[in-house]
Amino acid sequence: MKMQKSDVIKQLVDRGNKVYDLYENQIALEVKKDNLLNDLVFLRSIGFEHLSFITAVDFIDEGEFEVVYHVWSYTHKIHILVKVRIDRKEPILPTVNNLWEQAQFYEQEVHEFFGIKFEGNNDLSPLFLENWVDIPPLRKDFDTREFSIRLYDAEVDGGDI
Amino acid sequence: MDAPSYMLSKIAEKDNLSVYELFFGPNHPGMHGNFGYVLEMIGTEIVKVRPNAGHLHRGFEKLMEQKLWVQNLALVPRICVVDPDPNEVAYCTAIEKIMGVEIPDRAKFIRTITLEMSRLTSFLMGMGALVAALGLYTPMYIMMADRDLLLDLFEWLTGARIYHIFNIPGGVRNDLPDGWVERLNEVLDILEKRLLEYDKLVFENPIIHKRLKGMGYVSKEDAMKDGITGPNLRASGGAFDVRVDDPYAAYPYLDVKVITQDGGDALTRAVQVRLEFEETIKLIRQALKEMPEGDVRLNLGNLSMLKVPKGEAYAKVESSKGEFGYYVVSDGGLKPYRVGVRGPSLPAGLLYAQKHLPKMKIDDVAAWMASLAICPPDIDK
Repeated sequence: MKMQKSDVIKQLVDRGNKVYDLYENQIALEVKKDNLLNDLVFLRSIGFEHLSFITAVDFIDEGEFEVVYHVWSYTHKIHILVKVRIDRKEPILPTVNNLWEQAQFYEQEVHEFFGIKFEGNNDLSPLFLENWVDIPPLRKDFDTREFSIRLYDAEVDGGDI
Repeated sequence: MDAPSYMLSKIAEKDNLSVYELFFGPNHPGMHGNFGYVLEMIGTEIVKVRPNAGHLHRGFEKLMEQKLWVQNLALVPRICVVDPDPNEVAYCTAIEKIMGVEIPDRAKFIRTITLEMSRLTSFLMGMGALVAALGLYTPMYIMMADRDLLLDLFEWLTGARIYHIFNIPGGVRNDLPDGWVERLNEVLDILEKRLLEYDKLVFENPIIHKRLKGMGYVSKEDAMKDGITGPNLRASGGAFDVRVDDPYAAYPYLDVKVITQDGGDALTRAVQVRLEFEETIKLIRQALKEMPEGDVRLNLGNLSMLKVPKGEAYAKVESSKGEFGYYVVSDGGLKPYRVGVRGPSLPAGLLYAQKHLPKMKIDDVAAWMASLAICPPDIDK
């Protein structure tokens, strides 16, 4: 049965979560790390069965990573950004690859580019980068220019930064 | 005897018993783009698959954090080569959502028309790749020639054949030139007539039926929970389409027909593309008929000084391969804080490769890939 956006928001608020009404058909949900699996299982049980993808944002000034799970419901036609904040120094989250099989690859990707570990995921081997030695590249403190100069031992001549 | 020739003779002698590794790609005629599967083989049968991604990783997500909002428009179409416009529209829609602006109606229709034209080019490329993988080169050449008719129109409209960079935050770059709509109508007529030829050459061809029937079956339930979207999902019976479920551009004003089939195998997916090709032609005609007059872009000031307010948005587009999504986070500055890209090919290209390919013959890998419309650039980004 199709639920209205307001009903979905009410159910999520009743569970003690912070919910932001972003746009038509789109809401953001902030969950705590310990509750992440419970909340995702709950969302799946009320019809949010499609995991679009998993990504992360590096909020370096706040010392936190934000991992975002994008879920969509084919029944309710609503997109939810499930956001969880974790400490930058100890970036560990539980895996969701037993909920969604394709999450395996998104977790590998997030681990490769942000260095976030997913507990319970046995294969976090790199997918894209070969022989990578530096810090994970999508972190905000990774400087591409400085890295290239160091890697190729280049002499800096000009440039705008 | 030295090692390499010893290996070869061993394989030749005990064909059924020795397992060997075969690199299917990154440089292989049956592979789409620089991507690869490392196949463990016994004889000609696949035992195990390891996707070998990363050859196309160009670091777009990092690069986009270092460029101005409008400069990134030159990067986003490169994430999917054969179907570039959904990237531009998704990225621009996300920006417009955060800014809270609505683009003029005529711009919405022009966006829709370019999106659907891009879908046609991608379908032609996809059908061509599929039949070429089965050895039918002639229809592939016809399809590539037909695709060029659409690319000519893109060149006339935007100045570029593949990467159009035509959609900008606030609308599209310019209005349709004189005579362009008439030519588009002519091209649509040509393509519609050509469909009958495709039917004879491809879809009524016993080779296609024999090779594709039953290959790579995906059930509706699996497709829905594993993130398979677009024509692949609809060929398994899921009547879901972003254009209807979460409409963008001019789709709220148009009557989009969602075509579904129940087969779920490679043959059904091939026919699905053909049916949707026909529907897309109708949709462009409908959009041309209902297109209003008016402005084609909002005045957002100097776009290279564009500042997007603090916020975040996810915008998605129904591309020819499925859901293409852009997750954009802004901190209020001149550059995006983070752009995350959801490509439609990852679930099929990485997950379903491991489910489908074992037990298949090496000859079928290219056709299997083409039937699921796997486009590696959007896996690697």
